Amino acid sequence: MRNAVKQSWITFKSIFTGMGVTIRHFFGPTVTLQYPDERMELPKGARARLFVNIDDCIGCNLCARACPVNCIDIETVAATQDVDLGKTSTGNPKRFWLTRFNIDMAKCMYCDLCVHPCPTNCIYMVPEYEYSEYDRSNLVYHFSNLEPDMVAEVKEKAELEAEQKKRDREEMMRKKAEEKAKKEMEEKKKAEEKSEATSDDKPANDKQGEE
Amino acid sequence: MMEVISKDTGKREMVINMGPQHPSTHGVLRLELVLDGEVIKEAEPNIGYLHRCFEKYAELMDDYAKVIPYTDRMDYVSAINQEHGYVIALERMLELEVPERVEYIRVIMAELQRIASHLLGIGAFGLDLGAFTPFLYCFTEREKILDIFERATGARLLYNYFAVAGLMRDVHPEFKTETSDFVKTFRPKIKELNDLLSYNSIFIKRTANIGVLPEKVAFNYGASGPVLRGSGVKWDLRKNDPYSIYDRFDFEIPVGSGELGTLGDCWDRYIVRVREMEQSLRIIEQALDGMPDEGDVMAAIPKRIRPKEGEIYTRTETPRGELGYYIISDKSASAFRVKARAPSFVHLSMLPAISKGSLIADMVAIVGSIDIVLGEVDR
Repeated sequence: MRNAVKQSWITFKSIFTGMGVTIRHFFGPTVTLQYPDERMELPKGARARLFVNIDDCIGCNLCARACPVNCIDIETVAATQDVDLGKTSTGNPKRFWLTRFNIDMAKCMYCDLCVHPCPTNCIYMVPEYEYSEYDRSNLVYHFSNLEPDMVAEVKEKAELEAEQKKRDREEMMRKKAEEKAKKEMEEKKKAEEKSEATSDDKPANDKQGEE
Repeated sequence: MMEVISKDTGKREMVINMGPQHPSTHGVLRLELVLDGEVIKEAEPNIGYLHRCFEKYAELMDDYAKVIPYTDRMDYVSAINQEHGYVIALERMLELEVPERVEYIRVIMAELQRIASHLLGIGAFGLDLGAFTPFLYCFTEREKILDIFERATGARLLYNYFAVAGLMRDVHPEFKTETSDFVKTFRPKIKELNDLLSYNSIFIKRTANIGVLPEKVAFNYGASGPVLRGSGVKWDLRKNDPYSIYDRFDFEIPVGSGELGTLGDCWDRYIVRVREMEQSLRIIEQALDGMPDEGDVMAAIPKRIRPKEGEIYTRTETPRGELGYYIISDKSASAFRVKARAPSFVHLSMLPAISKGSLIADMVAIVGSIDIVLGEVDR
């Protein structure tokens, strides 16, 4: 009996200690934010969405290679010799047309691994988090600023130049081969002449020897 | 010892499924319970609902560093601790020296994460047993830790913050003051939690003498962390096999003593977590004092990670227990084999042993008290 009373007293007391804590919290400051109306400001380095400053991108593909989930899809076309793509703000020369630079934010795991290898610091995370979509394909962000016809033109040009280069190279190779053949011929001739000369000399020597 | 409630009624047994969508299974765990009335005769955990091939991915990645974000996703409640074990394994393989400042920041982060993880574990444990209020208060505090993390690392849950022999970025300038402020405000909250939950009679009734894990059973199953310490074994890898710079700090290992019931019951496991938070605060305070202000945290990060041929097993103390990484290197850019020894998996395996003979309502308490994270169980 005494034990039961004691137990009840302890339970009674512990309930009221707990109540005391909740009452104190009740009069304390609230910690919740009414989200759509109030917003917490994300800190400076928050990782919420990837952003590419395409003007600074040199198309080195380092970010795509660093990505563990392959969410960065880059296609580059070498710039032809007649165009100068200029330099990035960090001073690196640009040598590629970026015909495709897609980032699939649905795949991205916000690991920040692509940000560090970038030589021009053009890919980075921005604290923007409200970008949900009804269609998953809308989460693929296209960063390339080339128009489709421009892309086609650039590709054609690059192909032409590549073909031209190939032809040039073949031409050069042929020329080289010809020259080589010519040289060889000449050398052969020379060698023959030499051998003829020595054979001419020999009889003379013989004659001398005979004498 | 455990008292087995059993009565042969001659009635049929009933098999019921608890989970995988049960709110108190902490994820997607399915328990097959063979019941005799309300008494559990057998319990069999069914896992694999959250399997994401961590080990295979670790072999497939063409860089060791690319695996670090995947380790985050094993135990998503204590991501920093998961990274810590992995980078330590790689550092030991590469025989790298870690800068002083990096080590201090790592320890502070790991201990903050331990508190955050225990807060979630305790809060969810209370929630399982019907105490809704402590859960919210625990989350309020956890939120503060996550805010510190967000400012320092840029992410709230999956950080990818540790790099091999370095950190991905330096902490923000106010990190020290912010953290010490948090330590100061958090100390009284532990007392509040004790008032509200730990010594609440209803809570004690639901947890004391329930799910008793004797020391011997714990050893046999390979338990570690708070679960093992709850059974009265003084075993903490931070003290017994010091890694990083834990040998420099002065802290105690809280163990269960069976003060309100039997040694190794749910309450013991619970209170070990609460007391561990206090010890973590002590470590953080000491680390904040010793942390050097200057130093580049990214300077020592190697460009290429190519460990020598060989294998390594490193273990670290995560909030859930001993997390081991067994890595075999074949000199290539990625590991030949990575095996993660997850404490949650081990603890889940002993669920049948400790739940036999208890009531079905207590099953919730037992699952909550071993504090498993299914992401780590399934990996």
